[in-house]
Amino acid sequence: MTARNSHGSPFAPHTTEETTAMLEAVGAESVEELFDIPESVRFDGEFGIDSTGERELRAEMRTLLGRNDDLTEFLGRGHYDHYVPSLVDHLADRSEFLTSYTQYQPEITQGFLQVLFEYQSMLVELTGLEIANCSMYDAATALGEAAALADRVRGTSGSQVLVPELMREERRSVLENYTEGAGLTVETYPHDDANADVEALSEVAGEETVMVYAESPTVRGTIEERLEEVADLAHAHDALFVLGSDPVALSVLEKPATIGADVVIGDAATLGLGTSYGMGLGLFATREEFVRQVPGRLVGASTDAAGERTYTLTLQTREQHIRRERATSNICTNQAWVALRTAIHAASLGPSGLVELARECLEAPVDLARRLDDIVGVKAPVHDRHHFREFVVRTDQPAQAVRETLEEYGFAVHAIDEHLIQVCVTETNREKTDALVTAFREAAR
Amino acid sequence: MSFEIPDDLYYLESHEWIDPDTGRIGISEFAQDELGDVVFVELPDEGEELEQETEFGVVESIKAVSDLYSPASGTVTAVNEALFDRPELVNDDPFGEGWMLELDIDSDLDGLLSADEYADQIE
Amino acid sequence: MTLEYTQARWNSDDEGYEPHLAEKNETSVDTDDVPLPDGLKRDELTLPELSEPELARHYTRLSQMNYGVESGPYPLGSCTMKYNPKFTEDVAAHPAAGVHPDRSPESVQGTLELLARLENQLARIGGMDAVTLQPPAGAAGEFVGILIAKAYHESRDDERTEVVIPDAAHGTNFASAAMGGYDVVELPSGDDGRVNIDALEAALSKETAALMLTNPNTLGLFERDIEEIAEMVHEVGGLLYYDGANLNALLGRARPGDMGFDVMHYNVHKTFATPHGGGGPGAGPVGVSEELAEFLPSPHVRASDGGYELFEPERSIGKVHGFMGNWLVLIKAYAYIARLGDEGLADASAKAVLNANYLASQIEYEVPYGPFHHEFVASAGEQDAADVAKRMLDYGVHPPTTKWPELVGEALMTEPTEIENRRSLDQLAEAFDAVASEERETIETAPERTTAKRIDQTEAARNLRLSWQSFDDGS
Repeated sequence: MTARNSHGSPFAPHTTEETTAMLEAVGAESVEELFDIPESVRFDGEFGIDSTGERELRAEMRTLLGRNDDLTEFLGRGHYDHYVPSLVDHLADRSEFLTSYTQYQPEITQGFLQVLFEYQSMLVELTGLEIANCSMYDAATALGEAAALADRVRGTSGSQVLVPELMREERRSVLENYTEGAGLTVETYPHDDANADVEALSEVAGEETVMVYAESPTVRGTIEERLEEVADLAHAHDALFVLGSDPVALSVLEKPATIGADVVIGDAATLGLGTSYGMGLGLFATREEFVRQVPGRLVGASTDAAGERTYTLTLQTREQHIRRERATSNICTNQAWVALRTAIHAASLGPSGLVELARECLEAPVDLARRLDDIVGVKAPVHDRHHFREFVVRTDQPAQAVRETLEEYGFAVHAIDEHLIQVCVTETNREKTDALVTAFREAAR
Repeated sequence: MSFEIPDDLYYLESHEWIDPDTGRIGISEFAQDELGDVVFVELPDEGEELEQETEFGVVESIKAVSDLYSPASGTVTAVNEALFDRPELVNDDPFGEGWMLELDIDSDLDGLLSADEYADQIE
Repeated sequence: MTLEYTQARWNSDDEGYEPHLAEKNETSVDTDDVPLPDGLKRDELTLPELSEPELARHYTRLSQMNYGVESGPYPLGSCTMKYNPKFTEDVAAHPAAGVHPDRSPESVQGTLELLARLENQLARIGGMDAVTLQPPAGAAGEFVGILIAKAYHESRDDERTEVVIPDAAHGTNFASAAMGGYDVVELPSGDDGRVNIDALEAALSKETAALMLTNPNTLGLFERDIEEIAEMVHEVGGLLYYDGANLNALLGRARPGDMGFDVMHYNVHKTFATPHGGGGPGAGPVGVSEELAEFLPSPHVRASDGGYELFEPERSIGKVHGFMGNWLVLIKAYAYIARLGDEGLADASAKAVLNANYLASQIEYEVPYGPFHHEFVASAGEQDAADVAKRMLDYGVHPPTTKWPELVGEALMTEPTEIENRRSLDQLAEAFDAVASEERETIETAPERTTAKRIDQTEAARNLRLSWQSFDDGS
């Protein structure tokens, strides 16, 4: 008999015979004997979870996920979808990549190390900064880490972190949690037509300021026009200037390093993954002078015993497994596989594809806003700015009601204020804009 | 393996040495061997005031990070800037070219270990 | 029968084992057609420009220069490198999984129900009352636990300053506690490799916010005094935190909630077989006792009439991730748990523990502590554990975690998981033994048969080159 225990894990390959022989080898009567657990804390109950066959389970989960309404999303605000080519799925799913772990043994993991090195290099080109790590969890946690870095490197004391009044509440909440332990407080500065109000910012910034954060594109899809002034202001107070962006926008926007950014954060999964219910890839790039303060993993080049160029994780003394409570961050498991996807996607677009995609992101909102503006009771765009992917619409009708009606028509948009709707348009939904305009006409009535 | 421990220096248990005549400070040959290849050294600026047995910098190898403690109080009068580009000097010549800084000594050195006492400690 | 192994290797003169993308072809594209004023846009973008066939070959070659669980045994201690069932990938690739976080809850009922179901599964497995799925990794779970402990104490007007952590704990524990603003009190291990009760007594005080513990600990040993430990921590008003890294040892045998733990994290990429992805993504859900449920991160899922809704727990600590964590990973974890069910999960732990015990009995290296569970820590003795690991690569196996925990000299922390059968464990044992009997010179210069030979770590750190742009500087 070599049958497997039919009630066991389908992924534990032991035959009954084998189990018996192995028990004999270790000198135990039964597997239970190997558990050195006092009776008083033994678990004798059941979880009550039934095992389901693969076929039945796939069908069940298809049905379950199928309960999500099939809406065409015109949603953005920090989470964006772009078409991910099939190439990305097929290559990233190769098991040598997918089923490996952190490259603690670089000699046998040159492939992934090179991928991450290439990913870092692409971010270096996109940001103009010298150092990019090979991932944080998402934009929100990358922002938290940026504040922690700012606190560490700033020469003088101070505890104020300045963020725009308009930003995702989630990012701010994460930032507060990441900075509270270090005794920092997060405060906002006002906006002027969805751009940083630089004059107002200069009023709130001072000796206490550790970091000034701005986003471009902003959460409302506008492109910041006075970032150099924001950077100068931060630097005048010996604070770091941290910019939030994403790889598609960075393909055409002025290089952050040129503007004066000390750290760039963002969601790099905008390429490679899409929105995925908020799962992301934290982009983190900074200046060379802060390299020993960078959180997360860094891949560097070296040479092997054969004299060949190779790659390896480096500066690991910054990390938790060596420096423990004095590490630059607690991050261990990161988003490496998403970085692989992002790198493949970026490589498949190439510079021409990226610039072309970014151009579309600039043109599509202008076009759609113009068409929505023609509708009675609708003004679009609300902000007199350059837009990237998205824009804000004012409706005479309550925004929530407009959103709900649009949902009935099969479209998801943001209702961001009593009479404000936000609409995001990229190549993934651009073909549905005619239908959206028609539905909007009904909804805004 | 035996390590060089010059007689004319004083030592801290944490493996820093000081030359009582010149005020020069560094780490011992034993310490550099324990650390392995040094890849980075962080040192204070000239003019900074150090206090005896408190941290003044960091020495980093590929597998460990160690704080550096000052064997004496005093003002930093020189910093070995060569270490910023060539941290390997700490490994190659810990009592010579791998020195870290010079101090205008402003404390007594009575509490420090002599070469013999330090030798006993690392045995 | 010792296996011979040779990893793929392409060798070009100046470009290492495979030229990087920019070496293959790089192009600059101007932004003249981009409708933005000059001050707001960059002049040009310089990146690799390759055709799809070229890219497919590039990444396929790189994958062949990598090693995963499907390549061979991967007994990396503390990391639980299980087989990742293929069907879970297909389930997570369902288009309906790709929803935007700002969708109305009414329009993503399938997603919310799946989240609620997973929370429920995890609560039962851990013996906890409520679970958040938001932390995107184990360390993020620890951070949530620390924030919850802080919020809990503050809600009782009790400001505490210390977190107690055993010296052999995962480095993340120390770093997470520090991120929360706590001072770390390190707890020395006892001679038997477990928590020393006297040392614990000395470490605990009214300043103790929490004790962080993994059980079985990093030596694979069950903390037999866990009930006494829990009582002592609770006696001083602290919380007991369970680091779930080693949960694969206990499925169906013991539950952290029953042992007296108040907060725990689960590593779904370890225990529940979601792929490690070359470093991540994982997920680190956190379970809490009923008393702590009001502090959980926001948003949280709950059943409402006929469906599910998102809400903010009353005294929520706020957020540790931009939305709901690594959602695609959570789908895979749910699928794995549902596939195995009670008996499959219990069997996974049984076989994981059996495998560790069997492998330990078959190797020559000494294993100083026991009885261990899903992993053991052998000592390489006179050999350097890091060298041993390099040489093991030549036998086509991934080596154990090395030189940690430091309680064991020249540690080889080995966790074969339940997926290896006897034949595969025997091959692994042969690799261990082959290396154990080899000359110092052989292992010091290993590996030979991997893509790269021994890599110079010192050069990497002294001469930092972190991007291909840095190659242009002439270094």
